[in-house]
Amino acid sequence: MEAWGVALIKVVFIWAWTLIIATLMTWVERRGSAMIQDRLGPNVCGPFGILQPLADGIKLFTKEDIVPEKAKKILFALGPIMFALPAFSAYAVIPFGDKIVIGGKEIILQVADVNIGFLYIMAIGAMSVYGIVVGGWGSNNKFSILGGLRSTAQLISYEVPFGLALLSVVIIYGTFSLREIVLHQQGTFLGFLPNWGIFKQPLGFILFIVTAYCEANRVPFDLPEAESEIVAGYHTEYGSMRLGLYLFGEYVNMYTLSALMVTLYFGGWHIPYIDMSKFLGPVAYGIASFLVFFLKTCFFLWLFVWVRWTVPRFRYDQVMSLGWKSLIPLALLNLFITAFLVQLTI
Amino acid sequence: MAQDYVKINIGPSHPAMHGTLRVIAETDGETIINAEPEIGYLHRGVEKLAESMTYHQFIPVTDRLNYCSAIPNNVAYEMAVEKLMGIEVPEKAQLIRVIMMELSRISDHIVCVGILGVDIGALTPFFYLFIQRETIYEMFEWYNGSRLTNTFGRIGGVEAPLFPGFEQKWIEFKPELMKAIDEMDKLLTHNRIWMDRTIGTTAFSAEDALNWGFTGPCLRACGVKRDLRRDEPYCMYDKFEFDIPVGKYGDVFDRYWVRMIEMYESIKIIDQAIEMYKALPDDAPLMAKVPKILKASEGEIYSAIESPNGELGFYLRGDGSDKPYRLKIRPPCYMVYQAFGELVNGEMVADLIACLSSLNVIAGELDR
Amino acid sequence: MGKPEVKRDYTLGERLYLVEIVKGLGITWKHFMKNFRASLQKGPHTVPTCWQYPWDKREISPIFRGEHMLLLDEEGREKCVACGMCQRVCPAKCITIKRGKVKEGEEAKYAGKTYCASFEIDLLRCIFCGLCEEACNKGAIVLGQGYELADFSRQACVADKKRLIGNFLRAKEEGRLKPKRPPVPVAGAKDAKAAGPQKAKSAGGGQGKGLKRGV
Repeated sequence: MEAWGVALIKVVFIWAWTLIIATLMTWVERRGSAMIQDRLGPNVCGPFGILQPLADGIKLFTKEDIVPEKAKKILFALGPIMFALPAFSAYAVIPFGDKIVIGGKEIILQVADVNIGFLYIMAIGAMSVYGIVVGGWGSNNKFSILGGLRSTAQLISYEVPFGLALLSVVIIYGTFSLREIVLHQQGTFLGFLPNWGIFKQPLGFILFIVTAYCEANRVPFDLPEAESEIVAGYHTEYGSMRLGLYLFGEYVNMYTLSALMVTLYFGGWHIPYIDMSKFLGPVAYGIASFLVFFLKTCFFLWLFVWVRWTVPRFRYDQVMSLGWKSLIPLALLNLFITAFLVQLTI
Repeated sequence: MAQDYVKINIGPSHPAMHGTLRVIAETDGETIINAEPEIGYLHRGVEKLAESMTYHQFIPVTDRLNYCSAIPNNVAYEMAVEKLMGIEVPEKAQLIRVIMMELSRISDHIVCVGILGVDIGALTPFFYLFIQRETIYEMFEWYNGSRLTNTFGRIGGVEAPLFPGFEQKWIEFKPELMKAIDEMDKLLTHNRIWMDRTIGTTAFSAEDALNWGFTGPCLRACGVKRDLRRDEPYCMYDKFEFDIPVGKYGDVFDRYWVRMIEMYESIKIIDQAIEMYKALPDDAPLMAKVPKILKASEGEIYSAIESPNGELGFYLRGDGSDKPYRLKIRPPCYMVYQAFGELVNGEMVADLIACLSSLNVIAGELDR
Repeated sequence: MGKPEVKRDYTLGERLYLVEIVKGLGITWKHFMKNFRASLQKGPHTVPTCWQYPWDKREISPIFRGEHMLLLDEEGREKCVACGMCQRVCPAKCITIKRGKVKEGEEAKYAGKTYCASFEIDLLRCIFCGLCEEACNKGAIVLGQGYELADFSRQACVADKKRLIGNFLRAKEEGRLKPKRPPVPVAGAKDAKAAGPQKAKSAGGGQGKGLKRGV
């Protein structure tokens, strides 16, 4: 057991860090999309417009809070909170670095190294859909309800391949703890490949990334908020900070999922062929591992943005058929092959 | 049971409704059982307005019909008046009209195809194309000083020759435009998400399309090779070489594809027109001899051109005064939009939006 | 009736979503890098498609149809004779003119025998079609390059004579006057090249049929 103080510092740190990243992501999204589309994007507030999220935040906080007259008041208020809270708490079990030694004490860079980290992620990730449904229902708007329903159907369909893809990873590493999975990915595999999840689970990774996009409600799976079809989907009636929570939760979800991708498939804080712990001091190593992990996460965060501005959107029934007819059979096949190979090698 | 369906009002203010259109859709889940388009939110009484305006004064009003491509509207109206009065337009003026009309056809198709992309969720190709549209508008601006509502041409000709650097500008612009169209093509056409969304959605048979009075790209997408530029040539279109792309099934993909190919065809026409323009002497007439005060004799005519959206016709009746006795506009959108309920029945809400953008219904032209 | 069955074959590459998506990512990446490099450069107008409006203004065409101006001739006399042609031709009916007779001793101020005592253009009604400019026999009213017309009250959007002449003086100072354009050659005219102002006047002048352009 760790000391209370250390745990508290870690909680506060990761909470603040996630907030900062999510805020910055709104800026990256806007600038990135602008660059992709031959535009400039927000570039007035601060250097390169980096203070724009701050301005947006101030705007969202100070705007009038409008509750539609015929909305179901309690549900309407509950929606954004139910969406944002799970998003913020999901990061707890994902590591953000290896370990750091300060004053002779070894601190693991992870809020809680629980041995059922996977189940926690699955459970909390599935929670966020309630926020969407409750908000969509509480708004008492047909477009919002449609958005909520789309989100439900989507989440139910994609939770299965998401879980199955994760399960294949569990079979390979034989553990549910995310930290241990990263520790397993050190060294090389077949002599020359880095011992990363992606090389052992290429199909699993593709399945995972597709389902992750769906879980995060990002293009091409942004049906719940498809602005050209159902106005803004579940947050049509929301404004001010309630809307802010929804938007914010989305980016926090993205950060969590990107970190999960790095943890499971891209070797966490490991650099291929190099063992940093051998030539770095304990403090430097802790910081370096954190940075490596963060940079890898950044790539996937950017991938979310990049894909969003490249592809069109699916239609509701096509998402369903892709999920049930392609992804689930593939995930099952992947699981079967993995189990078979693992059985052979043991 | 009918009372179990949910009625959704899509429009008149909805992010995907172009202009102020409204569709009252009865839905069963996401499937549309019955869609009823409602029009008239942008009705300005343009046809009645014409009766109290002189023939020339009405040209700026025609800008406001299809505001995505004002020039074909201007020319269609001018041609109607010229036909009524029996004015012969000089060759050079006709060439300028062709060049400007084809440029504006490109810009109209850019709007249509780009917005179709936006409505299906692909925002990026829209920007690549709209940047090119900006250059087209710049060319219009340098031609006669206005970008969107051009008030192009006068009855009996055009008001100015092409500005001196026009050809140079076109030569510089052409590869950029082709590149942008190509990029859109690469980003969308073979992307399976795009194909799934467009292929087969709101397909329409050629017979139905003819019965509903479809014209233009929407009809050609159904496989009917009808183009007024070839079938009833005007403005020397019979002297140009160009293909008429046709689709097969009349679905969203075909409409998209027909418009994409038509942009290339328009580029071809402009190239030829510029060559022919250069061959004419500098002082070749740009205006026919037109009386000081235009007074049409009694009589009625109907004159139509192939506007970017289809057959744009003007029925005109003169009574000997300097104002038309009656003017009736036949906008292509009107005929296309009345089949909208038929088109989207049984499809999904997302398809309704895609269908609407692929038809390129412009409210200004629809409601007049 | 009924919708036709649509059958199109997908190639294998199209079937597997990822191939085309990766190609698409390549295209967007190219654009991203191009603009990323451009945005790092110093200067007001680095990304060529973006004009950062209040600081960085687009070059507009010299014959742009913007806010009107009332012209003075070389001797500083008002060209307008208040014939009311522009008022009559205006499709939006936004011009109101009051005519005044030039009194003795005022010839240095006005070019004609009559002048406009007041000349008002309601810019809220104006559609900038340019017909007034073509109708004007004296070349007295011209559409200039001004396009920043927003204001706080309706009254402020009615341009009076002072403002219109002010527009001209400012444009003259900045060298932004409309270039003189040759008259449009008319079919049937004996020698189109020599068709000077008289010829153009005979062909037009009436209902918006003036063909003269420029100052």
